[in-house]
Amino acid sequence: MSKKRKISLSEDELVRALRNREKIAIEALYDMYSSSLYGVISRIITDTATAEDLLQETFLKIWNSFSGYDAGKGRLFTWMVNIARNLAIDKIRSKDFKNQNKNQDLENNVTFIDERKNTVYNPELLGVKELVETLKPEQKAIIELVYFKGYTHVEAADELGVPLGTIKTRLRMAIMLLRRHFN
Amino acid sequence: MRIWKVEDIKAYIESGILELYVLGDVSPEEKLQVEAMAAKHPAIKAELDEIERSMEAYALENAVEPAEHLRDRILNSLVTNLADDRTFDKAPEERVAKVVTMERPKGGNFYKYAFAACLTLLLVSVAALVSTYNKLQDSNTQIASLRSSNSQFAKVASFTEDTLEVLRGASFKTLTLRGTPKSPQSQLIVAWSPKKKQVWIDMRSMKMAANDQAHQYQLWALVGGKPVSLGVFDKTADSTNMQKMAPTAYADAFAVTLEPRGGSVSPTMDQMMVIGKF
Repeated sequence: MSKKRKISLSEDELVRALRNREKIAIEALYDMYSSSLYGVISRIITDTATAEDLLQETFLKIWNSFSGYDAGKGRLFTWMVNIARNLAIDKIRSKDFKNQNKNQDLENNVTFIDERKNTVYNPELLGVKELVETLKPEQKAIIELVYFKGYTHVEAADELGVPLGTIKTRLRMAIMLLRRHFN
Repeated sequence: MRIWKVEDIKAYIESGILELYVLGDVSPEEKLQVEAMAAKHPAIKAELDEIERSMEAYALENAVEPAEHLRDRILNSLVTNLADDRTFDKAPEERVAKVVTMERPKGGNFYKYAFAACLTLLLVSVAALVSTYNKLQDSNTQIASLRSSNSQFAKVASFTEDTLEVLRGASFKTLTLRGTPKSPQSQLIVAWSPKKKQVWIDMRSMKMAANDQAHQYQLWALVGGKPVSLGVFDKTADSTNMQKMAPTAYADAFAVTLEPRGGSVSPTMDQMMVIGKF
């Protein structure tokens, strides 16, 4: 299947087009960020149909509440990924979703534990070998939990059984390494 | 105002709060604090930017391409949303005005239709009310006319009852008043019950000359030789009923005189038409 021509704008251009509510902004927004946002959403919500619905909800919310974005306070992606993550976490914690998945609870837990093991012991899961070499397992675990599983750092401290201060330090160190890696 | 030393800023950066801020894992107070610090200190702002860029790159490394069909679905839902917002195609190039998106009330159409339905219902109701009101008015008129004819009928019935009583009642005596020499043809039947003190005259069998507008006949009872007025009556073409006159318990004789309209205090003797004695 041949891919459609994707539209790409600079972040400044995109922000301006979104503010002016231009139609092209919608396409550019989707082409530039859908896979990054879907990566985060689909890690939190494993069910494909629900994850797809959430991606649509995320874009609608970005579009509808765009006036709430202040470029002076941070990057566009940071604002958007937080919208996506919050929607996904709200969903996973909703009664609706819990009831829907009640029957599969046990199975999910097993998978979840397996995933945790994988995250800790199987560096391949990250998919970027170079990167894995730079991150220690415990650093990767904290990033997984907080960034991709929607845990607060307080919950992550509880989950990993380490003090809050340690969590903050590990998180900072992990991100420092990422920074070094990407720069 | 607190002066932040370089070491303080470094400690603030190293506390890990900026990472949590980027991950959206801070309280609203901490959020405001970080934003205020970033606005004040370029070093903090630069650090935040670095963290944001690295997390964005990290997300890109972990990106998952959504299914092909999702693109059209999502773009369509956004374009529909855009069409709802604005109905014209071309946006003014430099539109600086801040666009505040109002949360579209859910089921807006429902309320539109509901409102139209209510309006229609209201109009129909008003029409029905007007028509019912008119019918009610008609009914009221009919009832009033029925009631008045009914009461007339009741009056007639009770009158008839009274006149029948004259025939049935043992206490009534009838007396035929005969014409005087002045009008030998005249005749009037009087029914009297001393017990009930009732006096009736029979208009149907009355034979009297019709009186004019200026005069009326007056019935008198002679009590111990003195005339007592029992009221006036007219002789007209359609005088058919019995007429009840003033009551009296005593009477030796009855007589009728022709008097000026309204009657006289004492009878005009030369105008006596009929007389009768028991």
